Amino acid sequence: MTATNAVSELTPEKLFYLKSKGLIDDAFQDDGNIKPEWQYLLNSLIELGPEALRDRLEKARRILRDDGATYNIYDQPESAGGAWELDLVPSVIGSESWATIEAGLLERAELFNLILRDIYGPRTLLRHRALPPEALFSHSGFLRACQGIQMPGEHELIIHAVDMVRRADGSMCVLSDRTQAPSGAGYVLENRTVMSRIFPSLFRDSHVHRIANYYQRLRLKLTSLAPSNDIPRIVVLTPGAHNETYFEHAHLANYLGYPLVQSGDLVVRNGYVWMKSLSGLSKVDVILRRVDDAFCDPVELRSDSHLGIPGLLDAVRSRRVVIANPLGSGVLENPILLKYLPAISSCLLGREPRLETAKTWWAGDNKDFAYIAQHLDELVIKPIYRGSNQLSIWPSELSKAEKEELLARIRQDRMQFVAQERMEKSHVPSFTGTQLEPRPKILRTFAVAFESSYTVMPGGLTRIGLNAKDRFISMQEGCPSKDTWITATEPERPLDLSVADTTLAGSDSQLISLPSRVIENLYWMGRYAERAEASLRILRTAFVLLSGEEPMSMEARRIILEAVSEITATQPGFIDAPDELLLKPDEELLLIIKDSNRVGSVRANLDALLLCADESKELLSSDTIRVINDLRDALVNLESSLAGDLASAPEEALDPLVTSLMALSGLMQESMVRDVGWRFMELGRRIERAAQIITTINTLITPVTSGRDQVQVLIAMLTSMEVLITYRRRHRARMSVERGLELVMLEANNPRSLLFQLERLEEHLHKLPQRDDKGPGLEEEARALLEASSRLKLSRLDELLEAEDNSREELSRLLTKLEQLVSLCSNAISDKYFEHRVDSHQLVNTTWGD
Amino acid sequence: MRFRIRHTTTYQYAERVTHCYNTANIVPRNTARQRCLSNRIITSPHPSTSSQRTDYFGNESYHFEIQQPHTKLEITSESEVEMTEVSQEPELSIGLNYQDALEYLKTSTEAETLEAREFLLNSPMIKVTEPIREYAQQSFNPDQPLDDCVRDLTARIFNDFTYDPGFTVVATPLSEVLEHKRGVCQDFAHLQVACLRAMGIPAQYVSGYIETLPPEGEEKMVGVDATHAWVAYFSPEQSWQEFDPTNNTRANTQHIVTAIGRDYFDVTPVKGVIFGGGNAPELSVSVDVARLETTAGN
Repeated sequence: MTATNAVSELTPEKLFYLKSKGLIDDAFQDDGNIKPEWQYLLNSLIELGPEALRDRLEKARRILRDDGATYNIYDQPESAGGAWELDLVPSVIGSESWATIEAGLLERAELFNLILRDIYGPRTLLRHRALPPEALFSHSGFLRACQGIQMPGEHELIIHAVDMVRRADGSMCVLSDRTQAPSGAGYVLENRTVMSRIFPSLFRDSHVHRIANYYQRLRLKLTSLAPSNDIPRIVVLTPGAHNETYFEHAHLANYLGYPLVQSGDLVVRNGYVWMKSLSGLSKVDVILRRVDDAFCDPVELRSDSHLGIPGLLDAVRSRRVVIANPLGSGVLENPILLKYLPAISSCLLGREPRLETAKTWWAGDNKDFAYIAQHLDELVIKPIYRGSNQLSIWPSELSKAEKEELLARIRQDRMQFVAQERMEKSHVPSFTGTQLEPRPKILRTFAVAFESSYTVMPGGLTRIGLNAKDRFISMQEGCPSKDTWITATEPERPLDLSVADTTLAGSDSQLISLPSRVIENLYWMGRYAERAEASLRILRTAFVLLSGEEPMSMEARRIILEAVSEITATQPGFIDAPDELLLKPDEELLLIIKDSNRVGSVRANLDALLLCADESKELLSSDTIRVINDLRDALVNLESSLAGDLASAPEEALDPLVTSLMALSGLMQESMVRDVGWRFMELGRRIERAAQIITTINTLITPVTSGRDQVQVLIAMLTSMEVLITYRRRHRARMSVERGLELVMLEANNPRSLLFQLERLEEHLHKLPQRDDKGPGLEEEARALLEASSRLKLSRLDELLEAEDNSREELSRLLTKLEQLVSLCSNAISDKYFEHRVDSHQLVNTTWGD
Repeated sequence: MRFRIRHTTTYQYAERVTHCYNTANIVPRNTARQRCLSNRIITSPHPSTSSQRTDYFGNESYHFEIQQPHTKLEITSESEVEMTEVSQEPELSIGLNYQDALEYLKTSTEAETLEAREFLLNSPMIKVTEPIREYAQQSFNPDQPLDDCVRDLTARIFNDFTYDPGFTVVATPLSEVLEHKRGVCQDFAHLQVACLRAMGIPAQYVSGYIETLPPEGEEKMVGVDATHAWVAYFSPEQSWQEFDPTNNTRANTQHIVTAIGRDYFDVTPVKGVIFGGGNAPELSVSVDVARLETTAGN
């Protein structure tokens, strides 16, 4: 396949890939022929054809979605997760050229390790004038509080990531180093999993180097860092579910088998770091951090940080905990280092680095500044500190005035800017949905410290531009990613992982306990799911009855609509509302469904449910994530399906939501392991359902009404509790409040009766782990439950139905008491098992210069 | 000359503090003109852990963690310090002139000078601005000895600014201090550091104590001495030289150094994170600097 093929000869339904003029293309040799390592891949894809590729793409997207693979885009808080985009054509690098790259990366990782050691140690680089003092001291990533801290073992830098591009001459050139908390390794894993699933034979026959070894070594390295000889507890520290790369934090934590924690899950006590878990505090030995270093400790670092653990740095200093990458390692991301790299390398390694680096000018240097001012259009301007969230600037795309403004800004703060040459990027074939087209690529590689050197992941994360001429490739812009295949001519010898595995297997699993925050989120996930379901059911019931063929009296209308407000807890709403509102309830009903700002609305409950799901993502199966995704979709579609004509069966619009919720509860029952997490989710669900049943009965049945109204209200209750059919089967058409009450309160076999909830709750409580400090006798929550179920069982229906002044007072008293007891039980559980954060603040307010 | 110093910091909280994490710079450090002979720190309530280390700037930093609930935190640092007198000869206009000093700072490859350049840069609480540069300029004549220029700057700040404890808080920006010409020792020190940096001279913020002498014939009262702040600038010939703009003087035996940094951020006497405590904790500080009789043979 060469450029001589005329486009017109090819039908649109056939794939082809041609060399584009003027573009550097990884797939082609200088003579215009396809490189051998690309041949097999491209031929296979072309043979499959566009139709089959589209199918595979769909499949890939489905898998990614089911795995919950997202990349959150900051500007769009509404989209609770941008989908992770994976291009179907892997980026291929032959194993011979990879060997050269790998050697360069190894050397670079070692070099950066030495730089880090020097910067927080003797700073010989300054004394030997390999680096001007200002180049170091003006970088906000240089954390003076970290002076003198040393990692155990031979390395300061544990993980080193590099962004690089391929130049016209075929050589690789580094754009920047990532040493803070490099992201991407979790996405690589996901990409690889998806690719090997959708192209099993292509993947197998391509002899792709395996990446598992990298993660294995990461585990071994982290284990070796632990201060004590016991089996260490290692955690992954994430800023939280709102972080752009939260998916991979959870994914990586799961793959490595470490708990995923947020700063609030960790606490320093007596100089050690502990994780708050259900069984109390468990000591943490090693933290794999994804929080930027300056934010990690409000005592000594940024005092305005809410992502930090007070006292952490001192615990590190006393070697009671180890953090990877170490605090302070962000200083290596300073691009001024790139300008001086040859001198630095000569000073520390005795030779210049093999791997080339993009030419870099520093505005803090007089000569460089003059050069920058003169050649602005040929350069990319970058702030030296990434933390300030400033992006690179392409002056060539600015107006004259903007350029002058930029120069003025640089002149004002010269130390803080560098310029880099604008680098032509090489292109790789990518599938656009219809055709194979070239896209510019950037490769992020990963190295992890191991024994006396580093291990480089074969391949890495390839990201591509949205179109052929894209100069800027950013995940924030929604650019797709690719799996990177290092292909060997011979199949790779399988790695011997058995040794490593036996040292780790089993030992970790017993140590994996959950942070109590995760448990709390599961508990609330259960509650919100149930709350949303109860709301949806009563709303659906109201819609059906109000538009039913039986005319409804004002009185019955009022009771039912008031029940809607009570059950959804969106009072006042219909409570004591004027008749006009009761006659035209649609607007209020719609708001109760879709107004996300209104506490108690269906939408608000589901949003809360989704948030809890995000926070406990690492515990959810991919089936569960699929259902959660469906729910998210149904929520997005809700607005449009409710818009327009309300008169035509609005309850239909609610069905997809109810179905998703039912699927969710089914999954909880059928495919969740009966562990502590499951039990808490169940507890949440049962407590909420008990509370909802109480409210439903109380609002619908306590008022006494005349015959026909009473029947309608009773039907409303039975419908909303999903037992109307059961009732009719048993009692035919004879509607009796007494029989109805019996069914929803006391029938032990009805999974929607109150008694059923209380009995399940007692079972769950019985099986919860007990804290060591448990005293004799019943715990408060168990006592409350026992009282509730006894009162319920001892109640007599005939007494409950006695009425005075149009109200069943005895029933109301019992229900009110039961409501208190259930709520007491819930509070006791929450006090006992969940963490209650006290707000912290600074003793003295000093500002952190940025 | 020897001094015994007793420095007590008290925080009274409106509500219970359940636990807290703090770092304190309250132990006198060693410098060219002072030696800390002994020190002990008493914290109430008793900390669950504590440690002391020499920090990046060479200061003694004390870290402690308290895990028992309290409404009052009291930290007392007791030290004995030996001070060496700085030459009290009449000020001579000698030494490198300003212009040559600048040239030397740029080109010297001497380690101390290279490291001093850190103190030329903006720091968390000090940003050099145009008004500051303008104010400083008048004291710096290229042909005058650098030391004279700094002495002149010190005198101008002393004369132009009013000492007014009611005017500023820790977070008062320098621009306001400069505009209203009011402040306390911290503000004047920050201002002078900013001025020196604006002129290309490395400058440090020095925090410590100053011994106050009672008026002639009166008994000295307990607790009247104060925490104080002044500056040090880097002289190519004489390394770091200290000036006190609040009192228009060179630092001498009455100026006892606890910590040196880029600005107040680096040397804050007591800082940290507390859990609980309510709003606006009440801070009180008392300092006693007592002269000790020099023992025979010393």
